[in-house]
Amino acid sequence: MEILSVDTNSKKTGSGRELELYFGPQHLGMVGNFSITLKVEGDRILKSTANPGYLHRGFEKLMEYRTWIQNFPMVCRINVVEPDSMEMIYAMAVEKLAQIEVPERAHFIRSIYLELARVGSHLFGLWAYANMLGFDTVAQWAMYHRDLILDLFEELTGGRVYHIYIWPGGVRRDFNPGFKDKIVNTLHSIGGCVPDYDSTFFNNRLFYERAKGIGKITQEQAKQWGATGQALRATGMAYDIRKIEPYAAYDKVEWNVPVRQDGDAYSRVWVIRDEMIESVYMIFKLLDAMPEGPVYNRIPNPFKWKIPKGEVYVRCESSRGELGLYLVSNGGDKPYRVHFRTPSYPHGLIILEKLLENAGIADVGNIMISLYVVAPEIDR
Amino acid sequence: MNESIKEQLESTFKAVVVNILEDSRIVVDVKKEQVLTVLKFLKDRNFDHLALVSCVDWIEEKEFELVYILTGYMQGEKEYTGQERLHLIVKTRISRQSPQFETVTGIFQNAEPYEREIHELFGVKFEGHKRLTPLFLERDYEIPPFRKDFDTRQYVQDVFDKIPFVENNDK
Repeated sequence: MEILSVDTNSKKTGSGRELELYFGPQHLGMVGNFSITLKVEGDRILKSTANPGYLHRGFEKLMEYRTWIQNFPMVCRINVVEPDSMEMIYAMAVEKLAQIEVPERAHFIRSIYLELARVGSHLFGLWAYANMLGFDTVAQWAMYHRDLILDLFEELTGGRVYHIYIWPGGVRRDFNPGFKDKIVNTLHSIGGCVPDYDSTFFNNRLFYERAKGIGKITQEQAKQWGATGQALRATGMAYDIRKIEPYAAYDKVEWNVPVRQDGDAYSRVWVIRDEMIESVYMIFKLLDAMPEGPVYNRIPNPFKWKIPKGEVYVRCESSRGELGLYLVSNGGDKPYRVHFRTPSYPHGLIILEKLLENAGIADVGNIMISLYVVAPEIDR
Repeated sequence: MNESIKEQLESTFKAVVVNILEDSRIVVDVKKEQVLTVLKFLKDRNFDHLALVSCVDWIEEKEFELVYILTGYMQGEKEYTGQERLHLIVKTRISRQSPQFETVTGIFQNAEPYEREIHELFGVKFEGHKRLTPLFLERDYEIPPFRKDFDTRQYVQDVFDKIPFVENNDK
């Protein structure tokens, strides 16, 4: 942390002076390329200003120079932790504009793939959160289990982090023989560790003491500030795009939306835990219900592919909340305008600033990571 | 559901054009003077989530299009009524020569960073916005970089071609 200015003339309570501090981007409590300027008095925060932009690569502009298909490697880089929902939403938007049908089996494969990605992303979030609280063991477990999911992705798609597996018209290739069993085995070995996670972390008194009541928002505030995802579900509203506007195969199987009532960091992290378990059950159900058939409908020659004039807003539930894409075509072979509504955007730029007021310095990381803010998603 | 929204909008406002593109997608074209009242009207009818504020540069028509995407939160906590499925794309056009518009932060608090972004990347000035400070960029560009006449590739060439290459004979 770097001290930017010291104001000794201000009021003399507490430590007696106001400091301006830079929190991040190189700070142990900060995950990702993001910084917050804090005005503090003692260790109480008076005002906080979020500074995004460290990862602004201008993807939305760059996408206007590339053809519809060329953009797939770009979209997945917008969110490093969970690139899969980015591919999904771009494919959904292109399919809607070009009116391409997707085979039934591809819908199921997409759902399974997205749920695997959700579990992987939540494990990453758990790593960050547990690490920040000092639960190194749990953090290492979470990283290990995430790696098992990345192994699955590597076998399925050839890439560990960026997969570019979802494609307009379906998915790139079908499951290999025996891949279903591998998914089941991996999920069993992860699910078998849930009691361990519970006894060391989730039911641990230290986690309760450290997270209960931290970064609390009411449902009304969550609605005003544009919250979605865990931040909203932790306040009691079962708002989940997978239920509200089902895409892929989410309406084909039974599943529940995990909800908590208190709206604090403790509730948000519990929602993340419950969602992982729900996703694992959902994958088992989807694997059972998956029909046979093709996984891919042919699209026109990508080099000459022109998409009719139009505009579309599509949304899906990424692991952090509502992910939206506003896509405009002017009838050409490239998008005319691309704009992503990423869930971390309101979380990191509005809610974080509001919650940090009057919080302690020790809680900055706690609030930020429990809000699940991912910087590349904000900057784009 | 979407029919009744269309009716309500068209009967209350004169110059509003409502198109139902799909069961869940409604496009509302609004004159720029009416945007705030239309947004307020829709917010009172449970479209209380401003998902996105976007801007499209229609350079040939010399206009910017401001786009507000509205969805609704759930009214209860558990039950889905079907209105959450709908989303409205409220659009208006403003002149490209002097891009100015009113802020909607008075109606939707969460519009603040979106308008900051549009101000920075498109150069649209939002009157009444309390914090039109830079968000992502660290340099001041002559043309705001997301406008269509800002050519990213040309810019990169202009900037980086001036920097000489290093001599490297290490083959």
